[in-house]
Amino acid sequence: MEQSKKKRKNKILSSYLWSMPSLVLICLIVIFPIFYTGYISLTNMNVYHWFDYDLIGFSNYKEALLVFDSGFIPALLLTILWTVVNMVLQLVIAYLLASLLNTKGLKGRNFYRTLLIFPWAMPGYVSILLWKTGMFNSQFGLLNQWLEKLGLAPVKWLASDGLAFACCTVVNLWLALPFMITIIDGALQSVDQSFYESALLDGAGWMERTVYITIPSIRPIIAPSVVITIFTTFKQFDVIYLLTQQAGAKTGAHIHTILTYAYENAFITNNYGYSSAVSMVIFVILILFSYVINIKPKEEA
Amino acid sequence: MKHKKRKERIKLLLINCILLVVCFATLVPILYAFSVSLNEQNSLLSSDFSFIPRRLTLENYRKVFVEEPVLLWFKNSLVLAVVTVAISLCTGIPAAYIFSRKRFPGRSGILQMLILLYAFPSLLSMTALYKLLSPMGLINTRAGLIIVYTGTMAVFALWNMKGYFDTIPVEIEEASMIDGASPVQIVTKIVLPLAKPTIAVTAMMVLIYVWNEYIFAINFMTGENTYTLAAGLYSLQASETSGSWPVFAAASLAVSLPILIIFFALQKNMASGLTSGGVKG
Repeated sequence: MEQSKKKRKNKILSSYLWSMPSLVLICLIVIFPIFYTGYISLTNMNVYHWFDYDLIGFSNYKEALLVFDSGFIPALLLTILWTVVNMVLQLVIAYLLASLLNTKGLKGRNFYRTLLIFPWAMPGYVSILLWKTGMFNSQFGLLNQWLEKLGLAPVKWLASDGLAFACCTVVNLWLALPFMITIIDGALQSVDQSFYESALLDGAGWMERTVYITIPSIRPIIAPSVVITIFTTFKQFDVIYLLTQQAGAKTGAHIHTILTYAYENAFITNNYGYSSAVSMVIFVILILFSYVINIKPKEEA
Repeated sequence: MKHKKRKERIKLLLINCILLVVCFATLVPILYAFSVSLNEQNSLLSSDFSFIPRRLTLENYRKVFVEEPVLLWFKNSLVLAVVTVAISLCTGIPAAYIFSRKRFPGRSGILQMLILLYAFPSLLSMTALYKLLSPMGLINTRAGLIIVYTGTMAVFALWNMKGYFDTIPVEIEEASMIDGASPVQIVTKIVLPLAKPTIAVTAMMVLIYVWNEYIFAINFMTGENTYTLAAGLYSLQASETSGSWPVFAAASLAVSLPILIIFFALQKNMASGLTSGGVKG
């Protein structure tokens, strides 16, 4: 009895010993900075108070959550709008394209698929910068060259809020669709064809087949990927930051998601305390969000 | 019957047309950059633009490699990537294996916490990291960036590889234990060879992350000599008023090429090596 207890203890000890390096890294580099961010959020640290900051309690949180004009709440609302718009467009377009790819008798399937997932293979920030200069630039951007050819006046694509939001959405779709198409395409291939045959015998149209057969059968397969994509869309930073608000090259549009908002307050206006408070609020939102949709570790234990 | 066949054929033709147009539209930004990068400077602003460069030249690529310190940035990125990958794997593999195979108090709590940490964008703790690293003199050094990158990737590496280890049946190990293999032998001779796909994919995802990370690189590295490729490319951007768009286009494509090759080479492994961990890079 005594011996088995000791053996068990040894087993636990060796488990921790082997996973120690990784866990120590995570504690020091990920968890500790989060707590430290929490501490900074309670201070008035900014560019004038980089060393001699004081604890000021929860006033940063009050400013972020209760003062509408400070910009956090509008940014949060815009982020929700951004996520909804992007997810709806992404799912609809990806579904349509994946269905086209799965048409019976289509020969060039693999060829089209390879071309369609090409944006996924490019480094994201490179693509965004290429879109910015190559497509949207008001002098030599391709869009304005085309407009000019049609005899229309050039447009400043990224200068006004509405248009910039649309441009960001287009770029985000361009970046995200390949993943979604791949997932839905894979799911469509796993649908049992015999369902369709009997439905056709019953005289079901395309719409009915889609609503009653295809969507229910692919939903459980694509659900985890969709959840992950909702997260990445919600946390999107690169597209909006690189297109409209790089340091020293702001285009004039003021669209902020919560992440670009937190970043701007930290590294552009140098309001570290306030920005840390915003970061902590975002973290809490993400935690709540993941509890709501209940992503559990994929295992029995 | 004949009529129906004809209808089918028209439908297929139509679908092919739609797909061709969509594919072309998808590739427009890249094709345009490619064409501009090969074009001679002066024909850029002419109104009769085409996707096939009029006057072919490699001048822009020469400029990228000769006039800009791209090779130095390449070296910086490579050093960062290799060290980060090495640390991530050396710490991640044993931890992932233990978390997959052993049951011990605190295990599920730690796993729950890892998911939450995975949801936390490291961008949000940038101020804290800066404030912590600067008194140690680690700002503007490679070591500083490596610390940030390994921390961020440690969560991913552990979680992703643990997911894959879960799919390897434990019976294989039990059988060889009965045959008298020592724990070390089991891991090196049996588990690691079986886990090759996930190790490869994890290493590549970490590499790609380091290759593409620009926001920490531009904030923590201040000198042009210490830039990574991503930070360097960021600084090369052509703005509305300055910089050269053809040179930038050439640099962008040159930087993307290694990633493109890796991506298409690993495309098959990608699905199995990633989805089993339930994490998208």
